[in-house]
Amino acid sequence: MPFKLTPQPFKAAIKEVEVGCGAKAIKLGGEKTFPFYSFDAEMPNAPKVGVEISDLGFENEVAGIKDFYGDVTNVVEMAKKAAAMEGADFVVLRLESADPNGVNKSVDECAELAKAVADAIDAPLAIMGCKNDEKDGELLVKVSEVLEGKNAMILSAKEANYKTIGASAGMAYGQKVGAESAVDINLAKQLNVLLTQLGVKGETVVMNLGTAAAGYGYEYVASTLDRTKAAALGQNDDMLQMPIITPISTETYGVKEAIASEDDMPEWGSQETRAIDMEVVTAAACLASGSNAVILRHPASVATVSTMIKELM
Amino acid sequence: MFQITFKFENGDDVIVHALQGENLLEVARKANVAIDAPCSGNASCGKCRVKLLSGELDSQQTRHITDEEYASGYRLACVSKIVGDVSVEVPDIASAYKSRMKVADLSSPEEIAIFEKTKSQIVDSGIQMVNDLSVVEVQMDEPTLDDTMPDNERLTRALQEAGGVEKVTLPYFVIKKLPDVLRDSHFHVKCVVKKNKHGFYVYDIKDAAEDVKVYGLAVDIGTTTVSAVLLNMESGEIIAKASAGNGQIRFGADVINRIIESCKPGGREKMQKAIIEETLNPLTLSMCQSAKIGSDQIYRMCVAANSTMNHLFAGVNADPLRCEPYIPAFFEMNGFKGADLGLEINPNARIIIAPNIGSYVGGDITAGTLASMIWDKPEFSVFIDLGTNGEIVFGNSDFMMSCACSAGPAFEGGDISCGMRATDGAIEACTIDAETMEPSYSVIGDEGEKPVGLCGSGIIDVISELFRCGIINAKGLFVREGKRVRHDEFGMGSYVLAFKEDAGSVKDVEITEVDIDNFVRAKGAIFSGINVMLESLGFDVSVLEHVYVAGGIGSGINMKNAISIGMLPDIPLEKYEYIGNSSLSGAYTILLSKEAEEKVHDLGRNMTYMELSTHPGYMDAFVAACFIPHTDASLFPSLAQR
Repeated sequence: MPFKLTPQPFKAAIKEVEVGCGAKAIKLGGEKTFPFYSFDAEMPNAPKVGVEISDLGFENEVAGIKDFYGDVTNVVEMAKKAAAMEGADFVVLRLESADPNGVNKSVDECAELAKAVADAIDAPLAIMGCKNDEKDGELLVKVSEVLEGKNAMILSAKEANYKTIGASAGMAYGQKVGAESAVDINLAKQLNVLLTQLGVKGETVVMNLGTAAAGYGYEYVASTLDRTKAAALGQNDDMLQMPIITPISTETYGVKEAIASEDDMPEWGSQETRAIDMEVVTAAACLASGSNAVILRHPASVATVSTMIKELM
Repeated sequence: MFQITFKFENGDDVIVHALQGENLLEVARKANVAIDAPCSGNASCGKCRVKLLSGELDSQQTRHITDEEYASGYRLACVSKIVGDVSVEVPDIASAYKSRMKVADLSSPEEIAIFEKTKSQIVDSGIQMVNDLSVVEVQMDEPTLDDTMPDNERLTRALQEAGGVEKVTLPYFVIKKLPDVLRDSHFHVKCVVKKNKHGFYVYDIKDAAEDVKVYGLAVDIGTTTVSAVLLNMESGEIIAKASAGNGQIRFGADVINRIIESCKPGGREKMQKAIIEETLNPLTLSMCQSAKIGSDQIYRMCVAANSTMNHLFAGVNADPLRCEPYIPAFFEMNGFKGADLGLEINPNARIIIAPNIGSYVGGDITAGTLASMIWDKPEFSVFIDLGTNGEIVFGNSDFMMSCACSAGPAFEGGDISCGMRATDGAIEACTIDAETMEPSYSVIGDEGEKPVGLCGSGIIDVISELFRCGIINAKGLFVREGKRVRHDEFGMGSYVLAFKEDAGSVKDVEITEVDIDNFVRAKGAIFSGINVMLESLGFDVSVLEHVYVAGGIGSGINMKNAISIGMLPDIPLEKYEYIGNSSLSGAYTILLSKEAEEKVHDLGRNMTYMELSTHPGYMDAFVAACFIPHTDASLFPSLAQR
């Protein structure tokens, strides 16, 4: 008997969320299938790759990243280069210097920088806070304000500060809200419910479910991503139908495989290769489990992952 | 010897003496000063903080105490050593704690009605309310020089004749008083006897002129609260009822910490002493006092308690309960007598222990299941005991299944800043005006009783109302502002139910975000436990015909509000029934009826135990349920209609 393909698209769909403006604007989500199940239904929008840059510069990065940015001296120039990186769909500016336990730059200073970067590039922009919930609560509100009209993605609103960030980014200034939770399908849904109850439209929310670097309890991430997509599509759960964005590099550049120097670990080989490998395998795993966008740092990783996406589409 | 003064926030103080180098937490425990130490003194929880008022302590600063706090005198009791006279302020883990330790009085007509109802339901199921204790009156011939039979033989023969039995056993307690009682009574006596197939066992002997009655003691030993009733074994009449906090509380709030504490040197004795000498005996004596009887007239006792409490009560090593593969020393154990454990009851009184069925489902549940009557109905019911451990039994007359989930002490008012048991001064019901955010509530006690705290049923109402009025969000965080909504320096919100001017306490009666979070976890544990157990059997809540809710949460529990916060499944209200302290009413019927005692063992043996902690879906279900009402709103269709 000849094989007859029976496509099985779901009736429900992942919400389509647009980030950025103009020709380079990107769309996340919109599919009615599991990731890359193109035999069931077409994925209208390929998963996207973002390039992470920090307002602290690139001094501490591995050689390949330093080489890429070369003699760039300020963050705006760095963003322009990142936007032009091969395979990059959007730029992610991480406002690390706002951290009150670090440089502790003022909210206004950081917002000004974000505005300068947004004005300098035409690629879509995402802004990451400094991981201090309280400071981010002020910082991301201000950033949302100064970026009005840019349709940026604000990463992220958490349970602790969703009210201010949700209200400003999602309602007052028309940005997209990243909703961050800690690798748990129920916590993710709860945050979406809270944001929706606040008045933020589901169509303006992108979920950051969190991740772990491959080998660091990643199984739980895979299961969470899988179940989230299954609930969104299979059970038509509209509180889980937001597309998923996964910052990869912020996780992988914290594990020993990526940071142990060759002097300490000669038997592990090149540090740079290891760092790239960690990014690529973690990103590939997340994409295969349901991420609609990943955020990476190394140009080689960005190129590899974007090629993988193209091949799979 | 140094003088140590513990000062409470309400002004009371306790003065004790201690030696150089003694640990402050230990000193406090010896003095019965309750300092909350859930980690049992490992410096890991940071809860045992006290404030230095005068003097010095040798105390290192831990991560739980900031520099400013250390400078202003805060210390952790568990890392503080005595170096001189010292005075410390002990935080009120609430006046609630002390009120938990109070021995309450006679029961209300409503409570007695619950016992009467249980008894009549058991009788309706065909179980006879008959036990083997009775009073036999005998008149003997007084001995003469021609009739030199010894006293014990004289009594034995008289009893053999009176009861038509062959064998009569006279224990030491009886022999010891026999010559005096016989002569004082001119050989006309009443004996308290147990009659079984072997003959008579004589518990006591008294002058026939006395009004001899046989009493029994039913006790529910909860992790947080101990309750008891004293009853007449012939008529079943309850002559006293009392409750108190479990004296072991100061060694840790939950069973795990109690077990850890009991494994320290001398710990097992310490725990047994805390429950028997410090809790049960004072409770028994005060009941006997109020009923005007002697405690040696209590000839039988029934204990319904969870497995850990049973072990610690009996002074048996409970550590294997805690460690894989979680094996108790006993499920059924009926060999104890009053004297074995130093209980203030007749030394020969038999102690019936309601059987355990798993390391975390104990005799309180088998007794409660007996009282719930779910074993006597063809339709499916679920029985839920809201205690520190929430236990759930599902089934019908054909089968029963049980599980336990760790709810914490929130239902009994523990872990809640203004929480208390359902006694005088507890807010038991509440409504809030959506517009003005002003509360109106009812307080347990006489007309005009001022609020002191919140009991379980009150907390359910307050959370449900705060949510309905949009004052808190589904995560339990405050989202509206007003005169009754406050935020402390760390941003933690709270809602004031009664400002201290209007309260019967030294501080405001309020509910904080942390309280709400604790309660939401407790309700999440219960809700997810019910659902996971039903799901694992291929059922859902629609099969339930009856839901019996038991526990010290308070008789005022508003089932509608309990549903609207997502604690109980969304099924029609008429299926719910509150059955009070079912382990106590179960223990009561076990005492009164030999057949009920056999039945409870039968139930224990036939109940299947399901371990939730190893169930793969439980953790997910739990997190999903830690939301008001639930992450999956479709489980609560009736709320969507409102």
